[in-house]
Amino acid sequence: MKPLLLTVLAAYVIAAIHAILAFVNKRRTLERITLGSLAFGFVLHTVWLITDWTVEGRYPLFGLRETLSFLAWTLVATYALVIYRYRTQALGSFTLPLVAVMTFIASITRDTSSAAATGTVTDANAAWLFPIHTTLLIFAYAAFFLVFIASIMYLLQERELKNKTFSAIFHRLPSLTTINDIATNTVGIGWTLLTLGILVGMIWSSSRDNRLWHNDPKEIFAVLTWLLYLLLILYRASAGWRGRRAAWMGVAGFGLVLCTFLGTRLFGGYHVFG
Amino acid sequence: MAIIVVGLNHKTAPVGLRERLAFSDESCSAGLRSLVDGEIVDEGLIVSTCNRVEVIAATVGERWEQGKDRITGFLSRSRSIAYEDFNTHLYSHADDAAVRHVFRVASSLDSMVVGEPQVLGQVRHAYSLAVSAGTAGRVLNRLVHQAFRVAKRVRTETGIAASAVSISFMAVELGRKIFGELKGRTVLLVGAGEMAELSAKHLINAGVSRVLVTNRTDETARRLASQFGGEAVEFSRLPTSLAEADIVICSTTASEHLITPAIARQSLEMRRNRPAFFIDISVPRNIDPAVGEIPNLFLFDIDDLESVIASNIREREREAERASLIVESEVMQFQQSARILDIGPTLGALRQRLQDIARNELSRQRHRLGDLSPDQERSIEALLIATVNKISHPILNRLKRTYDEGGSEAVQAWRDSFGLESDGEEPEPNETDDTNET
Repeated sequence: MKPLLLTVLAAYVIAAIHAILAFVNKRRTLERITLGSLAFGFVLHTVWLITDWTVEGRYPLFGLRETLSFLAWTLVATYALVIYRYRTQALGSFTLPLVAVMTFIASITRDTSSAAATGTVTDANAAWLFPIHTTLLIFAYAAFFLVFIASIMYLLQERELKNKTFSAIFHRLPSLTTINDIATNTVGIGWTLLTLGILVGMIWSSSRDNRLWHNDPKEIFAVLTWLLYLLLILYRASAGWRGRRAAWMGVAGFGLVLCTFLGTRLFGGYHVFG
Repeated sequence: MAIIVVGLNHKTAPVGLRERLAFSDESCSAGLRSLVDGEIVDEGLIVSTCNRVEVIAATVGERWEQGKDRITGFLSRSRSIAYEDFNTHLYSHADDAAVRHVFRVASSLDSMVVGEPQVLGQVRHAYSLAVSAGTAGRVLNRLVHQAFRVAKRVRTETGIAASAVSISFMAVELGRKIFGELKGRTVLLVGAGEMAELSAKHLINAGVSRVLVTNRTDETARRLASQFGGEAVEFSRLPTSLAEADIVICSTTASEHLITPAIARQSLEMRRNRPAFFIDISVPRNIDPAVGEIPNLFLFDIDDLESVIASNIREREREAERASLIVESEVMQFQQSARILDIGPTLGALRQRLQDIARNELSRQRHRLGDLSPDQERSIEALLIATVNKISHPILNRLKRTYDEGGSEAVQAWRDSFGLESDGEEPEPNETDDTNET
């Protein structure tokens, strides 16, 4: 198992380095190397996740290691969609280093306490809802991360356009309209996934112990996040809040996402992880 | 052969002098034919643009000093200018320096605005004139083709031409920065002016699909609109037109602010806050500077554009340093392959080899010939050598022709079959191409 994950890590690190170099130097060859090693890493990563799933006999989303690895995988998948749709690789120089770091942490940590958790989850009723609940939410997090990156890029670029002083990175960023479109569409997708994830969680919870709501910090943050992004979508749709204000919301929203994601770690509670 | 460049450019000569030396297409072809004499200058090419007049030539043998004199004499004669009048403005380069210069010119590193794309086309044109005049041969062919390649590399591998350095292109570049694709966008011209028209033209080339024109006098607006295939709108409807336009170029002679923050806000509201790009190139300004503080509205006045252009020029100069490295490596590569491929040493070495074979045979068979006087001995040797030369002459000539037509593989094949080293360091024969010594 280890060598496979290390190969994945190596591929992601190569992709991340070349993405940064391509961003600085704007060379097509570098972008091609990034795409190539990213695709290679992604395929191996997928293989690794599937083997992990079959070998361990449970959905690979419990401990820190599994979650980080899975989150990295979803980030790559979402990023691939953005490349496909918008033909811009500028997001990669921000996203891929994070992917590499997550994979690195995943490769050096070991999950110890997952057995107990596995027990509580897999023994329960409707256990099959658990993978759906977590997968939906992890993908939602990945989408919100991209919204966050796009928002930062928007703010950077908007400020330079307003001040009329252009730094080196200005020429590497996609246009304001493109970034805005990426953020708008991704936030819609992320929010839909979040809604579905929360719903599935509630159904699962009620089928286990007839409770929809546990008042646990993670749930509270999730609802706050849900509200904030709903607000953002409504504002964007009503056209009053475009550009900078929407971008700031995208940044703030991600702060809430982090609280939700790390909610159990920080504040304790009923949720296991992920 | 040696490559030399003799010429002057915007850095060394004032425009008055450049004008007097400039060549038209016709005078260029005629001049080339008189310049290339086959004795000193073997091949020639004249690059004549508004910023430079340069003669690029390949000399016979290593006669670059004479070549330089011949070129300056030629310039003086054909342009009817006394040598003293322009000689202090001339620069001349030979060998590496000449190759480097040609590469730099083609890559636009030597231009007034570094990275401007026109010069490559001008070099291409100069080359086609030389080709049709029959004065571009093997050496210049290779040089110019590699120069094209270097120019392409510089363009794709550095950011030398990445950013705009004129106001009209700045409008396109910033428009792309804000909107991405310009396809389907609308531009509004407020007032007429040369710069505004030029910007509009560039924007249309870049894909802007709809042009609105408004002016205090409707007549002018209609004239401009028909020129761009656009629509003239009444000046009183300015706020509505503003709302329709993604890009607004303002250049009127009005002395007050035509677009106030109130009007701008109103139009932005009408366009549901979609971003708008305002360019004010009128002096005094027609758009209140406070408009630039409205969110989603980007205002650039003439000073803003100029300062961005200045920083883009600095950026280009930084990129030019990277480009210089590319040029350096290409110069080295050019000279290296020139040494390997230079036909002169090969022909000399081949001839030498054949003569050696004859001499060896003679000394091997010498004892059978009995006593001979030194005179007799010399004439037998001379006879042998002359026979070898007579036989090999058409072959070597043929080889040279093949080579001149670009068949360097044939040369390599001959070198291989006679076991010659391919580093071009053979014992030097007397001169390079004296094949007429039968």
